Amino acid sequence: MTETVTPASQQREDPPSGGRLPAIPGPIETARRLWRALRRMSTALLLLFALAAAAVVATVVPQAPVTAQSVEQWRTGEAGPGPTAASVIDALGLFDVFGSWWFGLLVVLLFVSLTGCLVPRYRAFLRVARRPPAPGRNLGRLSNTRTFATDVPPAEVLGAAQRVLGRRRFRVRCIDADGAQQVAAERGHLREGGSLVFHTAFYVLLAGAIIGKVYGFTGQVSLPEGGSFADTRIAYDAADAGRGWELDDHRGFVVTLDEFDVSYFDDLTPREFVSRVTISEQGAPVRTADIRVNHPLRHDGMVLYQLAFGMAPHVVVRAGDRVLYDDRVLLSPNDDQNLWSGTAKVKFDDPERQIALDLVLAPDARLDSEGQPTIGPDPRPNNPVLIGNVYFGALGLQRPIPASQFERGSGPVDTAMLRPGGNAALVEGNLSVEFVDLAYWSGLQVSHAPGRLLLLLGAGLILAGLLPSLYSYRRRVWVDVQPEGTGSRVTVAGVALQRKGVFTDEFDDIATAVDREVRS
Amino acid sequence: MANEALAQSSNTWFNVALLAYIVAMVAYFFRLAFTRVSADGVIAGTAVGRRVGMLGTAVAVIGVGAHTASVVMRGLAAGRVPWANMYEYSSLLALVAVVVGLVVVQQRMGYGHLVGFVLATAVLSMTIGLLLYTPAGPVVPALNSYWIKIHTSAAMASSSIFMVAFVATALYLVKDAAERRVAERSNASFDGSTVGAAHVGGPATTEQRPEGYEADTELDTRVASPLAQREALSPVWFPVVPGLVVVVFVLAVWRAPVAAIIAGSVAALLGTAAWYAVPYLPPAAKLDNLAYRTIAFAFPIWTFAVMAGAIWAEEAWGRYWGWDPKETGSFFTWVLYASYLHARSTHGWRGRRAAWVAVVAFVALMITYYAVNLWIVGLHSYAKA
Repeated sequence: MTETVTPASQQREDPPSGGRLPAIPGPIETARRLWRALRRMSTALLLLFALAAAAVVATVVPQAPVTAQSVEQWRTGEAGPGPTAASVIDALGLFDVFGSWWFGLLVVLLFVSLTGCLVPRYRAFLRVARRPPAPGRNLGRLSNTRTFATDVPPAEVLGAAQRVLGRRRFRVRCIDADGAQQVAAERGHLREGGSLVFHTAFYVLLAGAIIGKVYGFTGQVSLPEGGSFADTRIAYDAADAGRGWELDDHRGFVVTLDEFDVSYFDDLTPREFVSRVTISEQGAPVRTADIRVNHPLRHDGMVLYQLAFGMAPHVVVRAGDRVLYDDRVLLSPNDDQNLWSGTAKVKFDDPERQIALDLVLAPDARLDSEGQPTIGPDPRPNNPVLIGNVYFGALGLQRPIPASQFERGSGPVDTAMLRPGGNAALVEGNLSVEFVDLAYWSGLQVSHAPGRLLLLLGAGLILAGLLPSLYSYRRRVWVDVQPEGTGSRVTVAGVALQRKGVFTDEFDDIATAVDREVRS
Repeated sequence: MANEALAQSSNTWFNVALLAYIVAMVAYFFRLAFTRVSADGVIAGTAVGRRVGMLGTAVAVIGVGAHTASVVMRGLAAGRVPWANMYEYSSLLALVAVVVGLVVVQQRMGYGHLVGFVLATAVLSMTIGLLLYTPAGPVVPALNSYWIKIHTSAAMASSSIFMVAFVATALYLVKDAAERRVAERSNASFDGSTVGAAHVGGPATTEQRPEGYEADTELDTRVASPLAQREALSPVWFPVVPGLVVVVFVLAVWRAPVAAIIAGSVAALLGTAAWYAVPYLPPAAKLDNLAYRTIAFAFPIWTFAVMAGAIWAEEAWGRYWGWDPKETGSFFTWVLYASYLHARSTHGWRGRRAAWVAVVAFVALMITYYAVNLWIVGLHSYAKA
């Protein structure tokens, strides 16, 4: 019997019984195959498509961290494809695509694939880019070739060729082999180098984004005119702090809103709104400054942004002589109409006997052509009217939900319409509501954002790597010189690995330049 | 008021430019018609065709002049750079696309007969811009920043170049299908890819001069029967697909059935023109190369636009990236165009598959621009500013 030698790999594949079923590869082999698959370009392509698909979904489906209102409307069926579809979307976690685990996994896979591809390419690049240009053979057979004779001796021709190619920033090497003299030149490694820089930049971006997320802080606060807040954890209406942000990272300076100014164009679109603030540290004012959209205020590593603004009427509610409520109510804008609305939690210590005041402010209350009260379009509060609806009962005001979401039950027990300075007696005289005056509130955002320099660096590297990776191309040029009598026979030849069309023109230029340089 | 007069002037010049583009587009398509193709594949222009072509180019250039005047006057009327709402943006998209079409596609590359399609996209963009017209006026505080000159202009420039690239991609897919079918029918050998990079033979220099055709004997013999190419393609899909797409789009956004039918018919006509133009198009490999080079040019600009947008967002909204619909839109558009560039270097994806990626990427761009602004709630809803 002849001895057959089974190669080691086949031994692993064939099951011991010698049956015909293909063997299931073992765990190490599977891991190796998966790794190889992950590193392939086609896998990277599919991962990119998945990334794009996730982003498409996140564009058409409202995202909870971005537009929570829209998400709620989708969930209740007010907007979007309906409550059943919305519950499916919810189950799949599509209302928060970028916070979901599968999106994180996708990003991880992309970076793993990227690393698996970059490491061998870096190695190959360093190896190839350092190699001196190789000598050329069979130059006559190349697609770009030109031959001419000249009475200049070979040494000078070689010198001329070196000069021409050197001026064009080729890496040049003189080869003297088998009596043939040749100048070998190469250029265009920046194509691969640029691509490597471009792809490496994503790590820099990732680092910048992570640092910003972990060590950063963002807080929003609404300030009525004259009000102030201190940069501490509890001061903010909404805050988002990274895990690395400590409580005493807050600076503690006090910001006072001295004045808020809004100006409009003639057609009543907003022209500018500005918060004039004073910043105090340890009780003493340190600086006064303006905060506008697109012009944030930077102080002590924190940045203050102008976000939104609104109306803040000063309302006092009394029961007889007792003052139940005396504060500015921060009203929110109404999307469709020139109105502002909000709720004052007047009294909520006894859960059964609570008082809430629903407020609606019309900055431009006027009478229409028939003498009926109507809402004018002017956003400037020249003619403000405040409408208050009093609710009484077990309203649920003690719950930790927005004030406006209290239980309205059977409706308001009384209502008042007030102008600034006006006072109304409600609920058979048991309650009085006074509209003292009207001011603005300003919505500010206070942030600390580390890592931005890294992001900027990453962005710069992306652009810096992108351009050479698209426009540079590896090409080689040889100038071969054979002595011919007292002169020489010169062959200029070249080949490009990419962008061959463009190289043809470049080669023509080079060959002509060599010719001219030789003759001069 | 001086502003009012300037704004009116701007609108007038806009309409002049739109009319000029339509006339030029018709002239370019007529030029396609006045072309003779012989049985053995020699394409020759005719005197009439040449003259109509020159007329078309002249009218297009006049249109560019009128359009530029419109844009400049709009900027003067509003007292700011003229790209702050969808009307102005759509107008500039069209202008840059036509300029790129005339200067790069016709002048530098010699593919004058493609310019009719570029003009068609410009006309479409301007028509949609008219539907989104807003009077010239100053900007809201959020847009009141020097970044509008950097971010918005870069986004607009790259978008219009992507528009031109889409024309090349669509025509590539059409021409490639035709060449394949002809090759199959004549049982000619075909290496399965018509991607220009190193595989397909053909003259390295452009074989067609900008004006008129010389007898073109340098055509690759495998695709030597241009008329057969047209016959190889079914003429049904060409009017139907663009027509349906446009009808659905107009109905969905504006709910205007009459406008939808008109726009759909125009799109169907364009599709038919594309079918008719198949024999006269450059070889598929060259169209693919044109698409690639234009996308490669626009991609860094788009990248820069996204980054500038992030820097601006940090200044205006206090965070550089919040996954707002416009941000996600520009992100997936970027990813898809990057995928196209990847696909072109990946075995098995070159040629048709990469071209389809480019088509999807362009659809993504249109979603990012139109759908996000007009449909979806977010920070970028400046549609009816």
